[in-house]
This record gives sequence, C-alpha cells and structure tokens, in this order.
Amino acid sequence: MDRDLSLGERLKIRAMVYVASEPIARFWPMRTFIHHNPLFGLEHRPFPEAVAEGTSLFHARGYLTRQQYQEYRRAGRVDDEALARRIGAFAAAHDPGVPGVDLERWLWCLAVDADLAQLCPPADWLDGAALAAALRGRRPEVAEEERHARLLAILERRLPPDAPFHERVDALFGTGIGPAVDELVIKACLDFFDEGQSVWGVPGRERGFFPAWRDVARRDLRLLIHGRASGRLLAEEADPEAVVASILADLGIPEEHWQATILRELTHLHGWAGFVRFRQQAPGYYWAARFPADLVDFLAVRLVVERILVLEAARRHRSPADAQALAELVAADPAGAYLRTELHGGTVLPGWAQRVEQALARRRPAAWQRLAARYIEAKAHHEAAEQAGALRRLAEQVGGGAPTVLQELGPHELDRLLGALRAWEREEGYAFLVAMESRAITDLVRRVRVPEPGTPTRPTRRPFAQAFFCIDVRSEPLRRHLEALGDYETFGIAGFFGVPMAFLEYGNGSEQPLCPAIMTPKNLVAEIPAGLRLEEEPLFGALSEVSHGLKQSVMAPFVAVEAVGLLFGLGLVGRTLWPVGYHRLRDRFHGGEPPTRLLVDKLSADQADSIVRAVQRAMIVQALARELRVARDQVTDDEVRELREIALGNAEGPSALATRLGLSEAAEARFVETLRSVYRVERREAARQLERLGRLGFSLEEQVQFVARALTSTGLTSNFSRFVLIVGHESLSRNNPYESALDCGAAGGAHGLPNARAFCAMANKPEVRLRLRELGIVVPEDTWFVPGSHTTTTDEVTLADLDQLPSRHLLYLERLQAGLAAAGRRCAAERVRTLGLGSRAERSPQAAAQAARRQANDWSQVRPEWGLSRNLYGIVGGRHLTEGVDLGGRAFLLSYDHRFDPDGRFLENLLSAPVVVGEWINLEHYFSTVDPHRFGSGSKVYHNVAGRFGVMTGNQSDLRTGLPLQTLYKDRRPYHEPMRLVALVEAPVRLVLAVVQRLPKVRSLVFGEWIRVVVLDPEDGYRVLVLEDGRLVDHLDPTSEPCTPTVLEEAR
Amino acid sequence: MVDLRVLAAACLLPVFPLSALFNQLVEQVRHPAARALAVLGLPEAGAALLEGLPRHTLVRGVVHSPAVVALVLFTSLLYALRALSVREVTLWARLVATSGLSLDWLLVGTGAPARSVELFALAWSVPAALLMVWAGLFSARLGGAYLGLRGGLAARLPRLSWLVALSALALVATPLFPSFFGLLHVVDVLPLSQLWAVLGVLFLWAWATGRFLGHLLFGTPGAGPVADLPVVPASLGVVVLAGLVVLGVLWSGRWTGI
Repeated sequence: MDRDLSLGERLKIRAMVYVASEPIARFWPMRTFIHHNPLFGLEHRPFPEAVAEGTSLFHARGYLTRQQYQEYRRAGRVDDEALARRIGAFAAAHDPGVPGVDLERWLWCLAVDADLAQLCPPADWLDGAALAAALRGRRPEVAEEERHARLLAILERRLPPDAPFHERVDALFGTGIGPAVDELVIKACLDFFDEGQSVWGVPGRERGFFPAWRDVARRDLRLLIHGRASGRLLAEEADPEAVVASILADLGIPEEHWQATILRELTHLHGWAGFVRFRQQAPGYYWAARFPADLVDFLAVRLVVERILVLEAARRHRSPADAQALAELVAADPAGAYLRTELHGGTVLPGWAQRVEQALARRRPAAWQRLAARYIEAKAHHEAAEQAGALRRLAEQVGGGAPTVLQELGPHELDRLLGALRAWEREEGYAFLVAMESRAITDLVRRVRVPEPGTPTRPTRRPFAQAFFCIDVRSEPLRRHLEALGDYETFGIAGFFGVPMAFLEYGNGSEQPLCPAIMTPKNLVAEIPAGLRLEEEPLFGALSEVSHGLKQSVMAPFVAVEAVGLLFGLGLVGRTLWPVGYHRLRDRFHGGEPPTRLLVDKLSADQADSIVRAVQRAMIVQALARELRVARDQVTDDEVRELREIALGNAEGPSALATRLGLSEAAEARFVETLRSVYRVERREAARQLERLGRLGFSLEEQVQFVARALTSTGLTSNFSRFVLIVGHESLSRNNPYESALDCGAAGGAHGLPNARAFCAMANKPEVRLRLRELGIVVPEDTWFVPGSHTTTTDEVTLADLDQLPSRHLLYLERLQAGLAAAGRRCAAERVRTLGLGSRAERSPQAAAQAARRQANDWSQVRPEWGLSRNLYGIVGGRHLTEGVDLGGRAFLLSYDHRFDPDGRFLENLLSAPVVVGEWINLEHYFSTVDPHRFGSGSKVYHNVAGRFGVMTGNQSDLRTGLPLQTLYKDRRPYHEPMRLVALVEAPVRLVLAVVQRLPKVRSLVFGEWIRVVVLDPEDGYRVLVLEDGRLVDHLDPTSEPCTPTVLEEAR
Repeated sequence: MVDLRVLAAACLLPVFPLSALFNQLVEQVRHPAARALAVLGLPEAGAALLEGLPRHTLVRGVVHSPAVVALVLFTSLLYALRALSVREVTLWARLVATSGLSLDWLLVGTGAPARSVELFALAWSVPAALLMVWAGLFSARLGGAYLGLRGGLAARLPRLSWLVALSALALVATPLFPSFFGLLHVVDVLPLSQLWAVLGVLFLWAWATGRFLGHLLFGTPGAGPVADLPVVPASLGVVVLAGLVVLGVLWSGRWTGI
C-alpha cells in the first residue's frame, strides 16, 4: 500500500465504485421492508436486456424453467396465439436456411412439448462437424493443430480479465478463496453494522467501517491463521481509496478493467453491498449517522482479505499471486489449465474426475498433457453425443421427416441450426412471459365492466359510508365484500393518502418516513399522548426491562436460566398452545397505549419553544423518578424549572430541590450530567429539537392541497356521505422478521394509520373545509373523516380517534362497525381457503375469522398470510370498471377520474409514485419466484436475524434480499404467477402518452416494458390498447390499425 | 524372522506399507461387482491365513509388539486422513475400509478367536462392498461416481443416495452397525495411552463422512432426468443394511458379554 493518492485520484476511485455499484439494488432494513426491483439499477434498459445482464451478474435465473411454463400452458395460463406469434417472428428473423427444417415447428415443439431443461447446454468442443459425426455414430475428432487455439479461447472465456482475481485462482487451483473471503467479510459486516443485537460492539465504530475493521483485524487470530501477509497488509494507515487502488494494482488488474472487477467483487455479497448502499444514501438513518460506512470501505475490507488469502494460497499451493503470473501460467500450459478449470469448475466428466485429480496432484506436466489429449477427445465425444441425442428426441417430437432430415444435415447446416436453437433458448423465457401476460390481459379486459355511454359512474344517492382504502391488492376483497354488504362506496388511493410525512411516534426516539421510498418527506408529524403518565410504568413493562437486562449481561444468563427459566417456559407453552389468548393477556399486562393526538399544524416560534420546554420538563420528571426515586408529587414545577436551567447551563447549583433532599454537590452534579447525557436535556439538543420542530406539521395551504388532491383525483368531489373512512393497513404476525414486508409499501413499509389520522385531522378542520369550498369541493357539515386500519392477517378493520367523533355520529357507529366486521369475516372466509387451514376454518365466516386470528398469532407460522403474492394488475380508473368483479386479491386499485384531470397532473402523480411502488412490489415478487434462491431469500426455515436489520441463511451468509419461499410457493409450485405488472389506465390514450412523456422514469419503465401498459380509452369506445414491442396494438383485435406512430414517437 | 504368511496376511488384511498392495489389487478390478467381491474376499483370506498360524506366533511373536500396534494405528489414521480429500465413492470406500480393516490386527494381538477376527473384517468389508456396488450404479447413471460435481443427488436419485449414505455410515462405525461394536471392543482392549489414536481415527472418519455426505446430499440438483434405482434392488440394499444392524446388535453380545 505504497500509494499516496491525490484528491483527484481518491475521487476517481470513489466515482468508480459509485458507478460500478449502480446495478446493485439498495437493501432497506427489514424493520421497514421496502419491496424493490432487484434489477432497479438496470431499469434504464429494456426488460429482456436487463434480465440478461442481471442474471449474468447475479448468477441467477430471469425466467421460470421450460417445464414450469409448460405446466402453466397445460393449465390454460398461456396465450398460444401470442406464443405462436413470437415464435413466428423469431423464426422469420433467425431463419438458418437449412433445407427441410421448418424452424417454426421445431421451436414450437421445443417450447411446448420437449421434456428438456436445456436443449443446447454450453459446450466447449461442439460444432457442426462434431455433431454431424455423432449423428452418424462416429466419434468426433479435434485436430491437434486446432486444439491449442480452441483451448486458449475456452480459457479466455473461463478466466475473463475483469473477473475478480481470486475467482480465477479458485477456478485453476480449487483454493476456495472466494468462500473464505465471503465468510470473513460477512463476519466483519456483522460486527460493524450491528444495530443492537449484540451486547458488545466493535470498538471505534464512529471512525467508519474500514478503520474500525482494520484495528480489530490486526488482533484477529482467525485472519492471522488465514494468511501470514495479514500483519504486513494491515500495518499501514492508508485511506480505503488508497487501499483499493493499491491492491488492484498489486493484483495486476489493468485499470480499464477496474470498474468491471469492482462490480463483480460487490455482487459476490450483493445483499451486504445493497445494505451499505442504502446506508450511504440515507443520511437521516440513525445508525448510518452514528457509524458511517460506504462501499469504498466495504470494498477495501474485501480486497485486503482477498489479497491476504491470495498470497497465502500462493505460498501453499504455488498459485500465481497476480494477473500477469496467472496469464503466463495459462499461456505456458493451456492443457493443464483446462484440466484444472474442468475439475475445479465442476464441468469435468464424472468418469474422468478421479484421474484428472490424481494427475494434477502428482504435478507432472507431461502426464497431464497426455491425459488432456485423451480427455478432450472424450469430452468432445460426450458433448456431441449428448447434443445429437437431444436433437434426435426433438426431431421425433417434430415428426414428419424431421429425424431423417436431421440425420442428413451437413456440418455447416448443423452449425446454423444449433445457432438458431441456442438463440431461441435465450429468448424462450421472455416469449412465454409475454404469452402468459397476454392471457392475463385478455382475462382482465373481458371482466372489467365498461360503462354504457351516459350512465353515471358514481352512486346518485348518498351512501351510508364512503371509504378510502390503500391500493394494496389485499384491499380489493375487503372493498368488494363491503360494497356487497350494503350502502358503501369505496375508493383506492396510495396508502400514505397523499401525505408524505416523517412520523415521530410516541415512545420512539427516531422518525420514520411514511411515504413511498422514492420520496423524501420534508415535514414531520409528531404523536403526543393525550394522557401522559411518565412516572408510572406498567408492571409487565418493568418486568420485561429486568428480563432484558438479565439477557444482556455476560454472567446473568447462567444464573437466570436456573432461577427464572421456568417462567419463560410458561410463555413458550402459552404462545404455542393458546396463541390468541396468550397475546391478549400479554397486551393487557403491558398496560396498553395511551390515547394520542397528532401535531399536524405548523408551529409558531413561541409554540415550538414551549414544546421543547415541556419535553425537557417531562424528561426531568422521569429522570427524578428513575435516578433519584423522587415521585412527581414530591417535586414542584419551580424546582423542575430550576433543574432545567442548570442542565442547560443557564444557572448553577445547588438547586433548591437538592438542598431540600440533602443531595451532596457531587451527587447533584452527577444527576445533572445524567440529565444531559442520557435524558438529552442540554443546549445543543434543545437547538436540534427546535430545528426539528420547524419541520413539524403542515401549513394550511399544504393541508388544503393534500385533501383537495386526494378527493379530486379519486373523483370524490360531491355527494359526500356521513362517514368518510380513511383506512390504512398493517399486518400482524409473530416471530416474523418479514412482518413489515406485509405492511404498507406506499407508507414506506410501515403502518398506514398515522397517515390516515393526519389526513383526517386535516380534512375535519373547518379552515380546510372553507378553503375546499372555494375550490369547488363542498364537504357537508355532517361529513366526518374517520381514520382506520385494516389488519391484513385477520381482516379486521379498527377505527381510530373515535373519541373525536361528533356526538350525532355515534348513533350510526354501531352500524358502521358491524358492517366493517361482517366484511372482514367474509374476506377472511375467502382468504383461509387459499391458506389451506382445513375444512373447520372454511365452515363459516366466523370460523374463518377465528382461524385467521390464530394464524396471525401463531409464532411457528411461516405463512401468516399470502401478502401481496399473486399481485398482477394495477387498475387506474373508476370503481365502476371493477365493482362487483372478483379480482381475487390480485389488483392494485387506484381510483382516478380523468374528467377532473384535463392536463394529466393527477395521473402524473399516480404514475410517478403509486404505480412505481406497484412495479417494485410486482418485480420483487416476480424475481423472487423465478429464482427463489438468488433473487429470493430461500426458505424461512433456515433464516436467522442479522444485526436487527436483515436475515441470513444459517448463522452466516449474504444478507438475504427478496422474499422467502413460503411467500411465493405452495406445494413446491409457484403460488405467485410471475408476470410483470399489467397497468390498466382508463383515460384517453393521448393524455396517458403525454403524461408518460413528461416523466423520464415512468417513460423508461413503460417503453422498457417493465410494466405492461393497457389503455382503456373512453374517447375511443373503450378500445383496449396494449403497448407491446414499442407499438400500441388493439389487444382484442391485433390485426387492426395500431395507434398512430407519431403519438408514440412523441411520448418516447 | 517374520513368517511370510504374516506378511501375506498384512497385504490382505491391510497394514501399512503392504496396505498399498491391497489397494492396488482392489483398484485393478474394474467391474463393480467383482470389486465388491474383492473387498469382501481379500480380508477374509487374510484372516484365514492368520488362522493357520500357530497362536503364539501371532500373539507373542509379532502382533503384540508395540511397534506393530503403532503401525496398525498409523495405518488406520493415514487412510482415514486420505479419505478426507476424496470424492470418488469407490476410492472413498476403499480408503475408509483399509483404515477400519487394519484395526483387526489389534484384535489378533489380543488372541481373539478366529471367528471374531473374520467377523470384525466383515463389519468393514460388507459396507465397503455395498458402496462399490452403489458406485457402479452411480457410474451407470451419471458417467462416474465422483461426488460434488452435480449437487443435490439426494433429490435426483433419492433411493440410491440414501443407500450410499447409509452404507457410508455403516462403514464409519455408526452405532448399531457391527463396525461400531467392533470398534468398541478395540477401545476396550487398547491401553489408555493408545486410545487417542482410535479417537483420532473416529474423528477423521466423522469428518470425512461429513464431507462425503455433504457432496452427496446437498447442493442444487443438476438438470435432466436420471432414473433412480428401482424399488426392488433398493429394497434388497435396505434388507442387507438392516441385516447388518441386526447382526451388529447380536454380535455386540459377544463383545460385551451380554
């Protein structure tokens, strides 16, 4: 590490790492699970291209297997016509010109009938000549003069210059450096990024990841055992940028390959890299602010460990220590290198593996070169024979004269045929995907209810209640059942209800953003208790604090297990055998939450100052009770005020209280110091709180804007009912690290209730209503906005802030709650069937609701609900399109009335936030289903929580991003049908395209086909137009005239 | 001077360095069934040779000397260690069998009856022979019995994989199999000062088996359908293994005196 980098060089390294890491999706902490597209960084490219690149980078699958698609086809989920069209188009574009071969027929048979996972697997020595020989029953020959050149080509492919160096050493020597590096880096990450799971933290974390790790690593025996060079490499005090540059140079990686190498280094642990990326881009994140780390640190740690292990391998195995030595070794002995990559890459013929291993172990080049010649002959024969057999089977399925034709094809013709088949196999998954989506679009457009011209799209008489639900797919069944029960009108809106806010929950010190992850909230809403009892603590809370203390102590567990272990056993039995009752009892012991209010209005300077003082006084009262055992009734307001002044440095002790209590000067000084350090009653904190209070609440204009926008965009500007429910949603489950994945994505992976409460507080305010009237939205005096929360695991809807309900509304409350409960039970009855909870649960809605409650409280349950699994549609339009239609909980429903949106501003809002959130959710499910182990997080059964922010498989692994198997698969088959989001928009096509054109991000999603857009144009007789391959085509009549190209060109 | 018959026996009931001959002999047999017979037959032939020798020659003359005990333990440790890095089923079985069979000499040294020496050899040679047969079946299906190239064999060839796994466990002295009781007896007759070597052997076997089974059972299954072992032959294999367990339990009575 002899490099002393200039500022410019350092910046260059940082920029390189930043750009290289772009394809790695950020990973949010699991407390607020954000569904995201794992290929988010590639969204600027068209979907098929991005999938090809993403699957190569992450060594993952981008589509289901052929057999899985064939199963879907047999179940009628694939549009044969669409598949045939794609095959036809492909055959026309890739016609190999082989006489007698009907490529379209061959491809059709391959796609729909062949029982082959892959017709043309990768091969080293296969070409037309070898295949022709195998088809005629002869052994193919590899000419000696040709062998050397082909060997070099194979080795160049297997040992690319931009691959991490250790990968190449591992491929040649089976040194296992890669897994060892991963293991040591994971250990370093677990230690550094811990968010309170471990009792002891790494020293010096405040200085950043790399410096803190280096200090610990110098004393790490494991690392010393792994490599003697560690002492030397860790001895110097260099910046992480200098370390990265120095090691890449030492490894002999040419500078033009640095960026690609860095990317591939990072993708080795893309979960951890994604988490570090999230941290470095979230300056407000508490742990990131406290313990800073970025990808340069992460990369520096990785490269140092790698260098140590590479040098150790060079010492032990005589493997090369830099790229130049490696290239020389390969050039000098390509046959040996080939055998090595065959053996250690797992591609060696099983019957030869032992011989190859022995020959290489004996280290006699002459012996392995002789062996290599024979092995290559065997491999070429094996590849050709396997390929010939697979082609023969396919030809027999094609039928007619295909087997004979195949038998007679010459080497060049076979080369061309193989080329076309290989190309098709790369595209087949996408063709199936499009064909499945085509069927899904047909299903949808046949079921939506197109209104007759002139008929009203909303009820004409006043409904008993109107309810806004989140667009989440789980709201669809509840809305359907609620509407079916009686006089209810429902609307769909993103679950943050258009109020982007950071929320400071009562009892929680850090703020939480409650809006889609793509937005950054500027304003803060605080929750304050209406009945504050600071000095009293519920018994159970105190007990749990004691128990927590026991667990955190080093020695206590040895004694505690013997002494009070049985008590924990009781909890264990209760949770297991009687989960619902146990948790009810536990909640009762906890004492419940006090009633609270939200501060949604902006504060004046005096108000802000008064709040800070009130909080400080409350803290002092709490501190007196906890630290000095002085109860609230033993201290006067003046004494508290004096202590506050002393803590802020405005006065000096001894205080009157200290004198009265007989506290010594030192004891009082200690208490004041505790007030400052623990209870944060100090000048700087006060200033910070004041600044924070400046962000508190919304101005009247903002409040009017939020309410007006929500009502107008959804089309609710008249005929308001007595109750307007604003229903957020949340999930309840036990022992489930993925609980927040089941919460509201539009509320940033949290509960939607605070947003609902804030919205209602605004909408019920007389000043806001007055301003709404000026805007033409007349909300009747007797209309009351009521916040509520839909618990998706139990289907219960709980209304909040009912203590603020006007008295005259109380008469109707019982009817309202009964209606919501009945809808919830019917919804549960529909849902438990899919969860397979047994016939008892399906007997009645009551039984179903009870079973759902048990499921939610069962701590052994790996699937408390299906969540957003099977999500497919996003419908942006009026409820008239889907009212009474059973969409099976598969649709995001966004209420939108284009008649109130002549310039498309509302549609712009919908497409830029809720639809993007829907797309993230959808693609997270898509990729986790097509590859549950690389893009998904594998089985929950093996998961362990890591550092309180993620999960790992086993005790140490990459952070598992994506969704678990149990969320997506049922009986080893995908329960979620992996398709891209089908976004149906009810609006004139010109308006839709104009809006898309204005939004660059949405434009790349739409034209890159990350979302399938279907436009239902009311101005064109509700014609169904689908965007496919850059053209808008009439889905029900693909032969009709497509949309005018100029409109599309403008939008593009 | 060492009786030549003892040297011949040391080839067949392998002890280092003559164990190399035993391994070469088995290696040279290509057909899996013949190889299995060789693994079964050669140690028994060795035991038969020893049976023909005068008893005092065996007990006092050669075998009981500390050098021979050390050599036997060294052989066992050496082959157990070699098995650690092996992934080919036949080779693995051969090495572990050699490691186990060599311990038979400790029994000979205690003056155990000839029948016990033969049964002790069978406790290792039967599972090893079974593994040779299973390896042949693997090769017929996958082209070779080299594990770890394609993971998840347990998912693709469940019956065959489980037979291999159980046979491997039978070979490394898993409780209830005869090798376990045989090893218990060895532990019983050895002085405490030499016990560490047997424990070392046991540790290496466990480690080697862990690696072996890891390659066999775990990993992502490879592509393409492969026919598993039909039910009848698989049942036969299970019967043989179950028979081994029963024999082991019955035989254990002889050692433990129950």
